Amino acid sequence: MSGRERIKVGVVGGGPWGVALARAARRAGAEVILFSRREQPELRDGNGENRPELTREYARVARARLLIVAVPSSSARAALRALGDHLDGGHAVVHGVRGLTGDELQTMSDLVREETPVKRVGALGGPVQAEELLRGMPSAMVCGSAFPEVLAAVSEAFQSSGLRVHGTPDLRGLEWASALVGCLAVGVGFAEGGGAGPGLVAALISRGVEEAARIAAAAGAEERTMLGLGGYGDLLASIGLEDRPEVVLGRALARGRSIEDAVAEARLRVEAIPLIPRVVQFARARGVQSSTFEALERVLQGDRPVALVERLFAA
Amino acid sequence: MNRSAPIFGFNDARGAIVHEVVHRVMSATREPLLALNDAAYHEVKRLEASKSPEDARELAEWQRVARTIGRMADGERQRLLREHAERIAWDVAGNFDARVYDVSTRLVPPLVTALLSPRKLATLARDPRELISLDALADKVVVEGPIETLQQLVRVGTAVYVPTHLSNMDSIVFGYALERAGLPPATYGAGKNLFTNPILSFFMHNLGAYRVDRRIRHTLYKDVLKTYSCALLERGYHSLFFPGGTRSRSGGVERRLKLGLVGSAFEAYTRTLLAGKERRIFFVPATINYLITLEAETLIADFLSDAGKGRFIIEDDESTRVGRVAAFMRKLLGMDGAVVIRFSAPMDPFGNRVDAEGRSYDLRGREVDPATYVRDLRGEVTIDHARDAQYARDLGEEICRAYARDTVVMATHVVATAVIAWLRQQTPRADLFQVLRQRETVIPRDDLAREVVALRERLRALEAQGCVRLGHDVRYGTGGDLVERALRAFAGYHAAPVLASRSEGIAICDTNLLFYYQNRLAAHGVAWDVIAPSGMPAGLGVRPPPPPIGAAREVGVTPELDASAQDAAVGGAA
Repeated sequence: MSGRERIKVGVVGGGPWGVALARAARRAGAEVILFSRREQPELRDGNGENRPELTREYARVARARLLIVAVPSSSARAALRALGDHLDGGHAVVHGVRGLTGDELQTMSDLVREETPVKRVGALGGPVQAEELLRGMPSAMVCGSAFPEVLAAVSEAFQSSGLRVHGTPDLRGLEWASALVGCLAVGVGFAEGGGAGPGLVAALISRGVEEAARIAAAAGAEERTMLGLGGYGDLLASIGLEDRPEVVLGRALARGRSIEDAVAEARLRVEAIPLIPRVVQFARARGVQSSTFEALERVLQGDRPVALVERLFAA
Repeated sequence: MNRSAPIFGFNDARGAIVHEVVHRVMSATREPLLALNDAAYHEVKRLEASKSPEDARELAEWQRVARTIGRMADGERQRLLREHAERIAWDVAGNFDARVYDVSTRLVPPLVTALLSPRKLATLARDPRELISLDALADKVVVEGPIETLQQLVRVGTAVYVPTHLSNMDSIVFGYALERAGLPPATYGAGKNLFTNPILSFFMHNLGAYRVDRRIRHTLYKDVLKTYSCALLERGYHSLFFPGGTRSRSGGVERRLKLGLVGSAFEAYTRTLLAGKERRIFFVPATINYLITLEAETLIADFLSDAGKGRFIIEDDESTRVGRVAAFMRKLLGMDGAVVIRFSAPMDPFGNRVDAEGRSYDLRGREVDPATYVRDLRGEVTIDHARDAQYARDLGEEICRAYARDTVVMATHVVATAVIAWLRQQTPRADLFQVLRQRETVIPRDDLAREVVALRERLRALEAQGCVRLGHDVRYGTGGDLVERALRAFAGYHAAPVLASRSEGIAICDTNLLFYYQNRLAAHGVAWDVIAPSGMPAGLGVRPPPPPIGAAREVGVTPELDASAQDAAVGGAA
């Protein structure tokens, strides 16, 4: 890209995920400005390398035309609305937020379109973890956007020797995959915690992913997106981690903990808890078979591990 | 009538436009060999199937091109390409005659009536003043929507009208609606088959229509067509496209569009920016609603038959038969409000709402400069076809939402929906064809009236949310009135009876046509939805419109408050 002006990247959100993304973009050589409400002492100290510019003003982060939104899904609408006051049609907003909101199961990019004037939207997903980005460990990420120029810009901003960015035009598919993977990870944690062997876990994963693909397709996604890096790949990475909140929650439930205690144990918000019953409802309304998700719903209601297996194999 | 619209100077500008189109197509065609080979291949294939001597000559010419093109020098190929591009461009370019326009908009509606019913013609011959007083269509054709806003908008920018498409009457009816609304005429691409239609060709010629030959499938032809449409928009010609691509076979409101020509608006707008003279483009969706549809019988038969799936152009339907058109016009003129054209709120090419001054607003009511959407992420205004293709798809979805919200429900739609619902209750779990086979069943009048009233209540609730519009008849009539009106509308136009009044009740005669008329409400989740396009969930209803411009801000809460409210809501769900 020599000779061309580099795209400036704005990252909104000072949590671990936002900081990790800002660092990754710096590492790839992009000019980065990070919007963070909290102090970022570790970013203020140290040498200038890999250190993004910091701001607390939406107007300043909006000077970047490529904006990466990495805030919790619960505060996404408010953040987007405030950010939206400073954006115009020339911006691209790509979010790294897992989750579907409301009874209508709106995706985060639907929120971007509702709360800002931006039309060029995208999402990040795939197996990459914040920790890997922070430490510069090789990993892979997926960017979804129907706009080729957004995919190109994200790839330019983040791709480095340590991070491979794959693009897909199926934005909706990636968003649904990210959200449904969170649900399935609870199930995997639950099965493992309940003493399931590798065969049963494999059956749960394979059937769960296939089912998730059909549900996402009913929402207008392409099935294969769930079957690729943004779905299957993401799930494999999630369950490989010891401290992934969804998995921790599932294990705690398998040990007979109440949902409140299990949430406390997982420490972070688990979006999957309110999402699972809504996914079941969505699948029913559209006549999609969803026995895995129905089983997960029962798990959240305190069913025993063996009931999960019965439910899974009943259909 | 305001005569400043560019179309009044079209004939003088035509040569320049054709020249510009050919020049652009030539410079955009990187591989003349490929373009000519592609054209020769498709044309030979198409013309081989034809028997006319004229086509045979053309076929021989293309076969010669196919044989010799490989050996030609580059310059020779360029020359040949230019020759064909020019020929196509002149074939496409239409004609606009202001005198014909005047005659047709002011006098043609009554004139058509007269022509179609010879008795009146005799009256006219005796007393030509009758022509003036015969403004018969005024009560019959209702034109509604944000007309004042549109009148202001066409002064500051270029309007692209994108109505629903049910009938070959649409372009005439819509042209008439524009005139009635005090809006300047629009140029449009009409299927070439319409130019040979003995009844419609009169209107097609000289009214600014350009010819689109949908049988020609090669890239060069499509490039010329898109470039032509782009050049017109750039020059500020208000345009009319039927983005459904073809008449709705099912009778349903379009839920998926063909966006080829619509897409030329993005390039046109960008070019005006690049030239430093921005000219904004506004899309105006509209619904054309008929109490009865001229070609209903052919269209629904086509929809239901497997053979129909591939038949894109129908050249032998009711619109080519003088008797049927005359019967249709008589029916139309016999009933008030038989046709309603409803304009939707205008939007910019990026799906934002616009006000009467042509300013764009996002869903939160913030003003936004449309030019920013065609800037790349480095801030440069660029023509980017991949980007614009996605904008076009997004716009298509917005247009379809507007169609559903501005569908005007009439007595025939409600009664047909009620009848089909009743039939389905009689045979639960029956598939479409089982339902359609139940002819000669009789519904007690009271049952039907009750069903109609219940349906009307559901439609009222939908209308309150902004998801549909009730026609005058549906809004005020009793259940019995609506049934009577539907019976009257069907009788005397459709060849065989649709519903028949018997002593024991209403006999169901033509279930295919009832299916056709009920399909108008399928997208609204009110009628049986077996016509949803593939990949689209059926019968899920319509999204209500966003709050009006200006209201969004006041309703909006402050971000901080909203954040805590949202958290509480999520917490509650957990």
